[in-house]
Amino acid sequence: MRKWTKMLGTLGLSLGILAACGNGNTDGGTASVPADEQVNLDIFNIKVETRDQLEELVARYEELNPHVNISVTTVGGGADAPAALQARFAAGTMPSIFMLGGLSDVELWEDQLLDVADTDAARAAIDGTLDGATLNGVVRGLPYNIEGFGWLINKEIFEQAGINPDSISSFDEFEAAVRKIDSMKDDLGLDAVFAFSGGENWVVSQFSSHFASYAYNNEVGAVADAAVIDWGGAEAFLQKYTDLINEFSIQPIITVDYSMAVEDLFVNGRVAMTHQGNWVVPTLDAIDPTFSTERLGILPFFVADNGTTGTIAAGPSWFWGVNRNADEAVIEESINFLNWLYTSEEGKERMIRDFGFIPAYTGNDSDMITDPVSKRIYEMLAAGQVTPWSHNSYPAGWFQNGLHPQWQRYVAGQIEWDEFIQNSADAWVEARR
Amino acid sequence: MMMKNRDKSYWLFLFPSLFALIMVMFVPLVMGTYYSFTDWNGTRVTQFVGLEHYIRLFSDTDFINSLVFTGKFTLVVIVLINLIGLGLGLLLTRKSKLNTPLRTIFFMPNLIGGIILGFIWQFIFMRSFEAIAELTGLSFFSGWLSTTATGFWGLVILYVWQMSGYIMIIYISFINNIPEDIIEAADIDGASSWQIFWKIKFPMLAPAFTVSLFLTLSGAFKVYDQNMALTGGGPFNSTQMVAMNIFNTAFRDNNMAYAQAKAFTFLIIVVVISVTQLFISRRKEVSL
Repeated sequence: MRKWTKMLGTLGLSLGILAACGNGNTDGGTASVPADEQVNLDIFNIKVETRDQLEELVARYEELNPHVNISVTTVGGGADAPAALQARFAAGTMPSIFMLGGLSDVELWEDQLLDVADTDAARAAIDGTLDGATLNGVVRGLPYNIEGFGWLINKEIFEQAGINPDSISSFDEFEAAVRKIDSMKDDLGLDAVFAFSGGENWVVSQFSSHFASYAYNNEVGAVADAAVIDWGGAEAFLQKYTDLINEFSIQPIITVDYSMAVEDLFVNGRVAMTHQGNWVVPTLDAIDPTFSTERLGILPFFVADNGTTGTIAAGPSWFWGVNRNADEAVIEESINFLNWLYTSEEGKERMIRDFGFIPAYTGNDSDMITDPVSKRIYEMLAAGQVTPWSHNSYPAGWFQNGLHPQWQRYVAGQIEWDEFIQNSADAWVEARR
Repeated sequence: MMMKNRDKSYWLFLFPSLFALIMVMFVPLVMGTYYSFTDWNGTRVTQFVGLEHYIRLFSDTDFINSLVFTGKFTLVVIVLINLIGLGLGLLLTRKSKLNTPLRTIFFMPNLIGGIILGFIWQFIFMRSFEAIAELTGLSFFSGWLSTTATGFWGLVILYVWQMSGYIMIIYISFINNIPEDIIEAADIDGASSWQIFWKIKFPMLAPAFTVSLFLTLSGAFKVYDQNMALTGGGPFNSTQMVAMNIFNTAFRDNNMAYAQAKAFTFLIIVVVISVTQLFISRRKEVSL
């Protein structure tokens, strides 16, 4: 008797587990829209930093539009997000709105992406910001926001060393400043001049973007089409900058990660510079509330011969893509939502105030941007002193399999510069296959 | 049990797990094998490419390097884990009040997930070791994980630390199953404890070796999370193990079909090695 109850119990339990799995699957489904007016949107968010803000904003939108239900799925950055999106696609639960990192993503999802050129938001986008999601002349994504990167500096340290960061106008002057700070590093309480995250492939990739932009005349499409990477006139500067940071960075440079560089060394004033973008501002301010307003500055790159103006990279890092295979009503509401986000007064205000974003759209009040570095990026964007996010147009996997490991080999002294150029170019061809 | 009943209930009880197994193991395996012969990119198949991906494997230095690295890693950890596991097992089957707490302590690392272990050890290797190096001036402790060699030994230390306790438990259960009377008889006949170990315990432990070798072998081949969290494959992708190489090919490079070909090749390699190992160690087992 006892045996039988046990067995039945086991059977019940295992069936229960199976049933639970079955339930889970149907919960995740979004493809079916009820016949009445309720429309369900499903947003796939990759920017973890602003998940709370996005959820608040979505709640507000649902309040304004009671017939729209929006669910937000947030998946962490790094390699997991694309994998999770792939999994959603394979499971037939493709989200109605999802995020694209650049042309290589657009290429991958081309068959799923709606042409969004004919939307209010696309018309309001700042010139050039749609390029990163325009494939074969079709606009397949709307820019999320503007993010800029370059040398983030601790202005206090520069002042103590007697250097006015704004006066630096060429690579030679930059190098002189680095050497001067290095010579005083004991007095300034520094471990090194730079904390360069050479262990992070995306940091090295962003770093290389300055040079790729110059080599391809700031045309991301040209980078995406290149049969093989050719740094052109910027190659010499790529080497100069690499050698300079390798000499004056925290060592071993190839294991310095993001957290060590930003959340430890840079924010605590133990290094003068790190290569990052304005997305670290909330992190820095969380550790030291006055850091961004009192000490944070940004220095440009000088990737050509003396006399050219320095540039930072700024542009849309992410784009919203709309699933064109969704139901008619879902597509329509998806577009309404994105239009509201970027062209309504409330949407615009929330983007700047709550998200802390630099807007990629016209009709925004730049005075609302509170932190000085973001404001500076917006000003440089307006002044045309910025280069695009060229590295987002590298072939998929190239910076992880080619650029970054070969760059690490070079700074570790394992290979010569020529080999770095050759090996990374070979990897580009391989990634193109 | 009566055979008549068994036929029905046998399948009835087997069904749930068999169903799950088929759905998550066999079906994907068959589909994946099919995809490896096509140009599947994760979203669509446009053509059949035959053996192209398999031929490409032979010239893929990253994949071959990761195979070699994984092979070396597996060899080293199998030896270390089994030596340490058996050693701890023998120590903790002697009569002592500390047996239970010590067994728990040694087993504990196995309860922590691989990702967390990876980050803990990353901190130890990069921060604590660096601090020791600064204090003592010993260059041995400096720059861990920044070279291929330290990355390799870092992974080995982590994995051995994680798995030894688990393997220890297996050895302990087998050691406890050795009949007391045999050992007593040997003792009375004047055998030393050294002789008792080599002549009696060791042969009697052969089934334990079969199980432990199999578990460590198949486990070490498939390591992913520890690898990802500790070194992330760096420096210069030189500590990338096969599982990671396959994952990256699939989800980072969007080379789904090629990754399937790698995965299938890897499966064959692991199956051949594991079955060979099982076959050899089974033959060495003795029965009373």
